[in-house]
Formats: sequence, C-alpha cells, structure tokens
Amino acid sequence: MQTRHLFITLSCLVSLQRASSVEILRPRGVSVTKTSLYDPEKNFTCFDGSLTIPFVQVNDDFCDCPDSSDEPGTAACPNGLFHCTNAGHQPMDLPSSRVNDGICDCCDATDEFDGQEKLGGGHCTNTCQEMGRAARELAQRLAEMQKRGAEVRKEMARKAAELKAGKSSRLGQLRKDQEEAEALKAEKEAIKKQAEELETAALAVYREAEELEKERRAQLSKEENEKEAKSMFELFDADKDGRISIPELMTKQEFDQNRDGQVTNEEARFFLNQNEEVGEEAFITECWPRMKPFYMMSTGKYIPPGEEPNTNEETEDPENFEAAQDDDNNLAEQTEEPVDAVETEENPEEDVDDGEHEDEEEGDQDKEEEDSDHEKEGEKSFSEVQYDAETQRLIDDAANARHEFEEADRALRDVEREIRQIEESLDKDYGIDGEFAALEGECFEYTDREYTYKLCPFDQVTQRPKNGGGDTRLGTWGHWAGSESDRYSNMMYTNGQSCWNGPQRSTKVELSCGTENLLKAVSEPNRCEYKFEFETPAACHISEDASSKGIHDEL
Amino acid sequence: MRKLCYIPVVAIWIAIFSVVGGVDRNNFKTCDQSSFCRRYRAMKKGESPYQLLLNTLKEGESDLQVSLINIKNVVHFNLKLTALENFDFRLEIDEAQPIKQRYRVDYALKGEPATRKLVVTERTSESITVTNGHNKAVLHASPFKIDLYNGKTLMMSLNAQGLLKFEHYRQKTEKPAVPEGEEAVEPPAPVDEAEADIGAWEENYKSHHDAKPHGPSAVGLDFSFPNADYAYGIPEHADSLALKATTATDPYRLYNLDVFEYELNNGMALYGSIPFLIAHGVEATAGVLWLNAAETWVDIEGGAHKGSNVVSSIVNFVSGSGTPPPPLEARFVSESGMIDAFLFLGPNPETVSKNYAEISGVTPLPPLFSLGYHQCRWNYNDEDDVKSVDAGFDQHDIPYDVIWLDIEYTEGKKYFTWDKIKFPHADDMMKNLSLKGHHMVVIIDPHIKREGGYYVHEDATSNGLYVKNKDGNDYEGWCWPGSSSYLDFFNPVVRDYYASKYSLDNFWGTTLDTHIWNDMNEPSVFNGPEVTMPKDCVHYGGWEHRDVHNLYGLTHIMSTFDGLLKRSQGKLRPFILTRSVFIGSQRYAAVWTGDNMAEWEHLQASIPMCLSISLAGMPFCGADIGGFFKNPDSELFYRWYQIGAFLPFMRAHSHIDTKRREPWAYDPETTSLVRSAVRRRYEYLPLWYTLFRHHEVDGLPIMRPIWYNYPKDKSAFTIEDEFMLGKELLVHPVTKSGLTEVSVYFPGEKDLWYDIDELELFSGHGTKTVQTPKEKIPVYQRGGTIIPKKMRIRRSSALAKDDPYTLQIALNADGLASGSLYLDDGETYEYQKGQYVSLVYHYDGTTMVSQLVDKEASFASKSWLERIIVMGVRKAPGRIVLKSQSVGEQEIEFAFNPNKHLLVIRKPAVPIAEEWKLFFH
Repeated sequence: MQTRHLFITLSCLVSLQRASSVEILRPRGVSVTKTSLYDPEKNFTCFDGSLTIPFVQVNDDFCDCPDSSDEPGTAACPNGLFHCTNAGHQPMDLPSSRVNDGICDCCDATDEFDGQEKLGGGHCTNTCQEMGRAARELAQRLAEMQKRGAEVRKEMARKAAELKAGKSSRLGQLRKDQEEAEALKAEKEAIKKQAEELETAALAVYREAEELEKERRAQLSKEENEKEAKSMFELFDADKDGRISIPELMTKQEFDQNRDGQVTNEEARFFLNQNEEVGEEAFITECWPRMKPFYMMSTGKYIPPGEEPNTNEETEDPENFEAAQDDDNNLAEQTEEPVDAVETEENPEEDVDDGEHEDEEEGDQDKEEEDSDHEKEGEKSFSEVQYDAETQRLIDDAANARHEFEEADRALRDVEREIRQIEESLDKDYGIDGEFAALEGECFEYTDREYTYKLCPFDQVTQRPKNGGGDTRLGTWGHWAGSESDRYSNMMYTNGQSCWNGPQRSTKVELSCGTENLLKAVSEPNRCEYKFEFETPAACHISEDASSKGIHDEL
Repeated sequence: MRKLCYIPVVAIWIAIFSVVGGVDRNNFKTCDQSSFCRRYRAMKKGESPYQLLLNTLKEGESDLQVSLINIKNVVHFNLKLTALENFDFRLEIDEAQPIKQRYRVDYALKGEPATRKLVVTERTSESITVTNGHNKAVLHASPFKIDLYNGKTLMMSLNAQGLLKFEHYRQKTEKPAVPEGEEAVEPPAPVDEAEADIGAWEENYKSHHDAKPHGPSAVGLDFSFPNADYAYGIPEHADSLALKATTATDPYRLYNLDVFEYELNNGMALYGSIPFLIAHGVEATAGVLWLNAAETWVDIEGGAHKGSNVVSSIVNFVSGSGTPPPPLEARFVSESGMIDAFLFLGPNPETVSKNYAEISGVTPLPPLFSLGYHQCRWNYNDEDDVKSVDAGFDQHDIPYDVIWLDIEYTEGKKYFTWDKIKFPHADDMMKNLSLKGHHMVVIIDPHIKREGGYYVHEDATSNGLYVKNKDGNDYEGWCWPGSSSYLDFFNPVVRDYYASKYSLDNFWGTTLDTHIWNDMNEPSVFNGPEVTMPKDCVHYGGWEHRDVHNLYGLTHIMSTFDGLLKRSQGKLRPFILTRSVFIGSQRYAAVWTGDNMAEWEHLQASIPMCLSISLAGMPFCGADIGGFFKNPDSELFYRWYQIGAFLPFMRAHSHIDTKRREPWAYDPETTSLVRSAVRRRYEYLPLWYTLFRHHEVDGLPIMRPIWYNYPKDKSAFTIEDEFMLGKELLVHPVTKSGLTEVSVYFPGEKDLWYDIDELELFSGHGTKTVQTPKEKIPVYQRGGTIIPKKMRIRRSSALAKDDPYTLQIALNADGLASGSLYLDDGETYEYQKGQYVSLVYHYDGTTMVSQLVDKEASFASKSWLERIIVMGVRKAPGRIVLKSQSVGEQEIEFAFNPNKHLLVIRKPAVPIAEEWKLFFH
C-alpha cells in the first residue's frame, strides 16, 4: 500500500504517562520491557515493519498499524494489547478493546482514563494493594498445602513401590503354583474321563425309561395350565355366553395397568389381543398367557415371566412378549412424577450389557452353574430309579471323579485369576512414581440434591438416586487424559451405561492437589458427560520451581 | 421447544414409540383428513352459484355494499368493498342473516384501516365499476367476479375460477328416516354439499373428537393474478421461497402447530401463520391479505410454477405451439370466520409492502442490544453455569449481548418463579450481567401448571382466567409442567393480569435488563389434537378455539409486551421472542424458525424461511445457530455463525441432549472463525440499527429476496441461496459442506458489487465464482451506497455506545454514492420525542456531505467519525478539506491504494451527530 502522509493538524491526545514508582516515561499501555520500542524522538515503525508513522500517531486513538502496535493505550486497534502495571499486584495484558469501555479491568484503574462514569456508576479506583495482599495470602496457603500434600504424596509413592515389590514376588510364587495346579488338573481330568466312560456305558439302558417319564410330566403340566385358563375363562365370562368381551374385562380391576382406578377400553382390548371379544379356545392360547402375569401380580402371586417354568406361549411369540415388557415399563413410569418421567424413562432402556470388565468372570460363573445344573438334573432324574449295585458304584465313582476334577480346575482358575489381577495392576499406570496406586480399591462419595456419586479410582464411577434406586455406571476406568505436559491431571472413565436415546455415559475426573482425598464437586456439563473434581495429595507433584511460581510483583 | 420424548402418559399405549429423526406425519392432518379442506378441494371450477344483486347496491362514503346470493341454496350474503387510503381495496363478505355471528378477526391489524372516497364510475345491468385513485374494481354480477386494476393493468381477479365458498351457519336437522320406497313429503330444505360431508357436524382425528356444535362454516375464495409468475409469502413453512404449485400435493397449511422435528420442503403447517401472499411478475406485483384466524389451507396453481404440466405449457407457449400458461392462482379456504381480504394492487413490491405495513403495522425500533449476538441453550443449568459462559466470552474475546435461560430455571415449570437451588441469587446474577452491558432473556410460556399453591394457577382458577373446554370447565392439557391449563389472552382482564406478573415487584430476580421469550404459544398441548388445543374449546366472548386459533400466540405476546412496557413505566423498549406468529405479531416481537436441526439442509432452509417471514411483514427473524436438535460438526457450526451474523436475529441455541457448543467448544480454529463471524455482526451493527429504523418508518422488509430489489429480473425470481439487506448488502452464505467456491449471482445491469473483506470491486452484473476458504462470508456492498460501521469491537453493544464510526462507501459506475445513519440512546422511547440523529450522506467525487434529515431532532452522542473508506476511487485526490461548525476548516490526512482504488480518509474526527462537508481537491 502506498501511503502519503500530509501534514497533521490533529491535536495529539495525551499519550504519555508517568509510571507511579519508577521514573520511566513510556506510552500508555506499554510494558517496561517494550518501552524501548516506543521512542518519542523517532518515527514509530509498526512491529511487523509494514508502516512507519510519526510518533504523534502513537496512541492518537486511530489505528494505523495492521498489527495494532501503534495503539497500545487506546481501543482503536482490533488486536492490540494494553498493559497494566498493577503495582502491588500482578501485571496484566488485556485486549485493548477493553480500554475505556466502562468496566474496570485493571486493579490500578489505568484502563479507564476517559473520565466517564462507569457502568455500575462511579469511577475506577486503585485496588491493587488489597487484591495483591489477598492474592499473596492465597498463594501462600496454596503453597503450604502443596508442600504438605507433596509429603503425603511421597509417602504414597513409597508405599506403592513396596506394594509393587510385594506383588512381583507374589507373582513369582503364583507362577509356580500355576504349573502345579495345571498338572493336577490334567491328572484329575484323565481319571474323570475314564470313570465317565464306564458310567455312560452302564447307564445307557436306563436312559430310555427316563425319556418316557419326561414326556409324561410335560403333558401333565400342559393340562394343568389349560384347566387353570378354563376356570379363569368361566370366572371372567360374566354373562356366560361363552365369549369374553371388553366390557366383561373392564370390570376386573386387576387389569387396570396404569392404576387410574378404571380399566379402559384400550387396556381391556390389549388383554384380548386387540379383539372385541374372544371364545374359549382363543382365550386359552392367546389371552390368558398375556393376562396371567398381571393377574397374578395384582392378586399377589406375581412371578416374573422369566422365572416361570415353561410359560411357553410368551416366549414363542416375540411380539406378545415385547408388548408385555413394554407395559411393564409403562407401569414403572406411571408411578413417577410426570416431570421426571423423561429422566426416568432412561432406566428401563438402559444397556443390559454391563460392560466388558465383568464378562470373563461372569463367563466363569456361568460355566460353573451350568455344570452344577447338569449334576443336579442327573441326580434328580436318576434318584428315583433303582440301579443295580455295580452301576451305582460306577455312578458314584464318576461323581467323585467329576468333583475332584472340578476342585482342581477351580484351584487353577483361582491362581490364574490372581495372576491376571496382579499383572493388570502391575501394568496399570499409577503415575510418575506410582503415587496414585494407593487410591485403587478405595471409593469416594459426593452427594448433591438428587444423587450420591461414587468415584472408585481405576475401577468405576457410579451414581445412585438419593431417594432409592440402583446404581447407574457413569464410566469404567479408561485412561489418563491430562494435557501432554500434565498427563496425570485428568482421568477418563468411559463406556458407562447408555443414556436413553443418547451416548454412553462417561466421566472426566479433574485432579487437583489437596492434603486429603476428597471428591469436591460433580457436574454434568454435557448430557451424559460428567465432570468430577477430585482433590488428592497424589496430585501435589512439586516441580522444583513451584514454590517460586506462586506470585511475583512487577515493581 | 422441543423434547425428544414429550409425553410420559400419552405414550403409555404407544407400546413402541420410535424416536427416529424426523416429523411424525401421522400426528398432523392432511387436507383429506380436514373436512372443510376436503370439501373445498372437491369443488369444480367454473360452476359458481354466486350472483350479485346489483339493484341492492348501497353507496357509502368510502365503501359500497351489495347483496350476494348463492342461487343453489338461496342463502344471502352482504358484500362490502372499501376503498383504502393507499388506493387498495378491502373486500368483506358475511352472511346477511346469520343464526350465529361469524368471527371477525381482532388484534391483527394496527388499527381501523384508513379509507378514501370510493367513486362509482359506471353501472350496467351486468356490472359496477368503482375507482379508488388510479386503481379500479369491476364487480361482475353473474357469475360473480371482481377484477382489480392498477391503471389499465389487470392485477387480480376474485372468483374468476368460481371457487368462492361460504358455508352459512345452519341448524342441525335430524334427517327424518324416509321409509323405503316412499318419497319424502317435505321438500328438502336448501342444502349444499357441506351437509353431505360426514365431517360436517363432528370430526374425529386419531383419538380426538371435535364436537363441532355449529356445523360446517368454511369460507374460501380464489384469487387469480394474470401478470404474476410466482407467489411468495404465507409463512410459516419449511419450503422454497417461491411457493410451489400444489396440484399434486396438499395445499400449504396455515395452522399454528408445535411440529416436533419438522420436515423440509413441504407445505405442512408450522408454528406461525401469516396469510399474506405476494404475487409477482416482471410487469406487476400484487398482494392479498386473507384476514382469517381459523385453520386455513392455500392452493397454488398456474403461473411459472414448477410442475411438469405448467413447465411444458410454458415451453409450448414460448415455442408457439400451445396455449398461454394458466394465470397464477391462489385459493384460500378457512374453517370458519368470514371473508375479509385486503387487496394490494402494487404495482411493485415496495408499494405492496408499504401498504400492507400501513394496515398491519411495523416492527418498532428494537432495543440495540437485541440486534447483537444472543447465546442460548436448553439449558444454562445454574448461576455458576451462567457465570462461566459469560467468562468464556471474555476469555475468548468474543462479544455477546444476551444470555438466555430456557424452562429449567423455573421451579417445576411454574413461570414467574425460579428454581431457588439452581438460582438462589438470580437478582445478583442479573446485576452482574448488567455491569458488563449484558442482558438476559428468560422464557415464559402460556401454559400454567395446575398445582395447588401456585399463585398464578390459583388466581386463574378462582377468577376464571383459563380457556374453557366445550363443557364450560377449565380446559386441561399436558405440557412441560405436566397437567396444565391455558390462560385465555382473548380476555382483556387476563391480558392485564398476565402483564402485571412481569412487574419487577412480582417477578423477583428480574430487572429492566431481563427480557422475555414467549415459547409454546401455538398453543402447544402435548396430548391435544395435532399437539394443540381442541377446536371446540371456548374463549372469552364465547368464540370457539376454531375461530381464533392462529391468534392465540399474538394475544400472548401482546400481553407480555404490555407487561414489559408497564414495568418500566413506558420508558424502555421491550424485547420479546415468539415462536407462534400471526398478522401483526411484528408489532411486538421477533420470531425464530423454531426447532430446526443441525443439518446443512436446515441451514439452507433458514434463508427462504426468514425471507418468507420478512415478506409477510415480520423483519426480525432468525434461525437457531448450530441447529437445535443434533450435534453440528465444526464446519456446519462456523458456517452457521457466518450466516447467522447476517440474519436479522442472531441467536445460537441447542437442545438439552446435545453436546455443549458455546463458541469455544470446538478447536481453536473454529473458535477463531466463530469469533470473526460474531465480530462481523458487531462491526455492522450501526447498519442493522439504521435498517431497522428505516423499516419502522417505511415498512419495507430488511432482509429481502434479490427479486424484491430487482423486480424485473426474471432470473432472480427463484433465487433463495442469497439475499439482500436493505439495498446495501448482498449476502450469499456458504450453506453446503466442503465448498471451496460458490457461484454468486450479481443483479442489476449497471450495478457494481464490492467485496467487503477485500474492500475492492468484485463484480458487475452476472454470475461469478468466489473462493470460499473457511473464513469467507461472501458479502458484497452495492455500488452507490454508504454504510455506517463501528470497527472497534467491545464486549457488548452497550460498551461501544460512544465509540467512533466508520463510513464505508462503495461508488457506483458514475462515481456517486449515498447512504444514511440513524442513532439514538438504543433503549428508550425518547427517540419518539425527537431524541435521535438521522443523517444522510452524499458523495459525488468532489464533495461529500453529511446532512441532518430532521433538524428538529437531536441526540447528544459522544461518538465521532473515525474514518471514511471509499471503494472504487479511480484517482487519488490532491488534498481533502473538512468543514464543519465544531471543527472549522481542516485538512484531513488520507491514504490511497491505486491497485485497489481504495481511499481511506484518516480521522476526520468530527462529532458524528454534526453536519459537515468534505472537499476533494
């Protein structure tokens, strides 16, 4: 850009000030370190070198330099910085757009020099002395806390190291145990195999009789069900016309699902499988299975469908099942305050999958249960049969062999589990000096208006409504999530339970130095994303210069 | 507002409720499911049974009255044609001897329209001709038809298609059972096709029953515009700017509804209804205001509308092988009320707007802060949250004027109360915001929680302030608080009562810096038919909800406006945001396009939606920046700010289930892009304020389609991806993902367009490609204009009050430009007593002058003139001298860039409110 300056007629605003304690003349808004760049004896060149202007145009309330460097003391430039000395407190650089805007930003009041009344009325006054004193006191308190916390931290690190050493040696022992247990298991397995082969051969003859007995029982139970349905049919068929109609059901309070004191047409229709009326056969096959849980429940005999033996129709027809499930949910919702209903609706929809960390263990348990079921069934169905002595002996042998094998297997798995736990824990990142290790296994709570929150470091984060109800998992231990320079300042707990129609819950834990472990605050800045503030001595890592970092004054 | 799942109780029997994105169309009626719409569409063209009885003509001072008869059923009507002051006409048709009075729309108009003398110039046995100035109306007797002319140009014809329909009120006759094989003895009473409709005396929709005690009562009429290509207006629809032909779809529907996750590109009803239509062609522009507050459907046909048959007929016509395309037609039908239509005869867009504004009113100059940036979210949770968002703006050096609180601030959704746990010190919070020049807007909805001990509910119950159901009891519906009733704002006592609730004494925690958001005022009723109030509910005066539905939101904001006005003893201008609108809502509130979605298509839709609303007389329009539902990615987010900065109402808002999205919620680059966009808003705030003042004076829209300023430019008729602000700026925002360039159409054969970023000439007439890197908002200043700006960006508009101005001049091909600046205190009504400054500027290359428009007016501004930027200067001046009373005569510095033809005049430093003159030597 070609610029031509003609003569200047504008009166220059007073742009030089006297710093209060040191005799340096410098333009308003300029820090001591930059004073040399503003020489009243010379023309001023913009810091980016793009333009040179007469010095009177510095701080003349017009922006000449594209880099805003000519107006440090006015609001004329868009990206300028105004420096306030704030003697007695900390100096500050503020955007020059805050100069003379009616708000006192600098404690020394230098940013508001236009003599105009300020937004709250009155004028700015110098408050640096009081603010500085308060800030120094605060800094001192923090420094002391930091120091005390750091000592605790040191101790935590030492214990962690000890613990680690203990675990390592325990691991060595366990590995040996593992080998032994594996050998024992193999041995027992071979014995078991042999015994079971003998048993199977001996039992083949008894198997057929057992099948027949099973069928007989199934038939019996079906007949019982039908009988029950028929008697209910007669009970409901008030006009004895051999049909059950909606009005007939509407008199039965048991079907008032939403508990509003009346059975509506829709409610009744639901139980009639959306028919106006049904005959006996349809009632038995379609309607009663649907009614039974509700009827039983209201008559105090409710057995949840899942636990009911052989409620075949319901599981055969997925739609029916789903509808019944939904109604269950609705029943639950109904009892809630309407305002909260949206919130509570989440619960029934919540992810059934409880995350991965428990899977293995659950798998193990399932297997055990399966095994023992098998055993029980065997015992039950054979107990009624009289075996000959030889067969009975083979059965007993096999049972013994199985038992011993399971003992061996369990022992091995116990060892393996412990190894896994120790290995996991040795792999875990507990901070630079392992100082966070001591937090594992402990839990910390925080309670607000509605919930009690629980943080179990390196494990999980949960929330429980104060007025009763189960835990909702807000995340399981994920990873350290601090910035690159301060990796251990934040923890992330991820893969919590899913929100209704939303993401999986997650929690960020912000750690700060404190002399004791304390869960200080919990908030939910984003839907289903929680923020915990946690104080712990483990976060009191003192860098060598930290003590001097606290505060220093300019001038 | 908005919620993913409303309805805890209602949902009980919807065993599986799918919450996939998108509107559930099943919740809203089609024309076929609305009995009067169905009946109207079944009518055949060219069989009008209506005739004028010309011998009954009565001439009044400014009107004529004549009988109209339906010869099929011998029902008589009165037709009244009035000459309006601005040479337009008003047509009213009502039953001659109604058994029940028909509803006449109240509140919508600014006042009783001014009239002129109507002159009957010709009477024959077939017709009557009347004139109103240069405009003329010819009433044909049989078949009944009215032709309206501006000079010699036929602007529109009424009932040219014979689709006038007026279902008179009748007694319900139980049809006597006629025994098989016998003739009925009584001759059948005069009937019409309404009688035969199964929906005539009651209607069912889903599980809702409409008692319809007064039976069929629809009114409909067709309007033809022989000189028009396209129809515009009749908002609110999420559809194209130029209305589409409805031959293969449902008509456009006007019925204020809370539509959850509305769909784009169709004529379904939305939150607002403004039955004002502009028909525009190269030669002529006309308008129709259909003054009816009942459910209304509008069919569009003919003209240059899209649709294969029409297009092909145009092609055939042009190629000489067919008949001319059929004229543009608009057919209005409403469920009840009377026919009351204002007929605006143009002949150009500005005359139509101006005259329409004369009838329905303008948006009074809003308080300056409301033109700044608004930060909203459902919800800012508590005082700390508000504090930290406020601090975030300071930290990131982004200006904002208003922070908003959605419904969660209340105690249990009881309006005029606070959640004392989240906001224990609401009063202090408010004061702290004020100390930095910020304002707050809190939500107040019209539904009232039915809870014992809640004083509004108790007052309303004991004093009968609620809308009644058909049986005369307080109507109960379901809304945010759960069981709710609805204040009957049609009752003046209710409006006064409600207004008094806004007083600072009553509404603890608010101050004069707290303004109001009136949402859910369609009214929204979660468990009502189509999510609103049943039509057989009864309002003050005995009117059915059916008659007044679309007015409900207007009466709500009227009461709020009154309350805010009284709260400051009439000193301060209120700011209100409303979701539901009708004719006249512009006099009280700004509007936004409701619960949009974080999708590019919704960003695109915000332009035609706000343009339609603007054309219908409501200039203060915006769309939720970022999209209400769902989470925008960073690109959509900053692009949305870029468009938002150039829409009249600039507010970011988001659903409670979305991620936080304050301007700094993304990466630093996004924050910086958002910062620039918001700063752009503040830079041009003096222009916005001046444009709003112009609107208040002349009634013209602020945000305009291109064709509005260039009415003869056919290629601009369907442009809806760019728009103009006044006549100064052309805006073509980036509304698609990943675009590195956009194609901008520059109208005006002789016009020049300057890039406001580069400050240099960009294009003349034609289409030109512009590069659109992330930071680019393609905005162009028209040559010949002068725009006032403020280049110092403060933390809020209030803090920039005394800051100096910059004048940005774009020269036209002749090297000339002119413009204006309006300023006042930005918040009071003192300007109406002359406390303001209004200036015009003229630049001609040798001089530039600043002149006061009204020398009587004055305002003591501390602002001064910081710089003048002149774009398109061919040659540098030798020297520039300023002359003014306070400065005297002074030579002024300047810089000239010959490559850009850019002249920057440095620091004239003259007080802004002064007259002055610059001489270029």
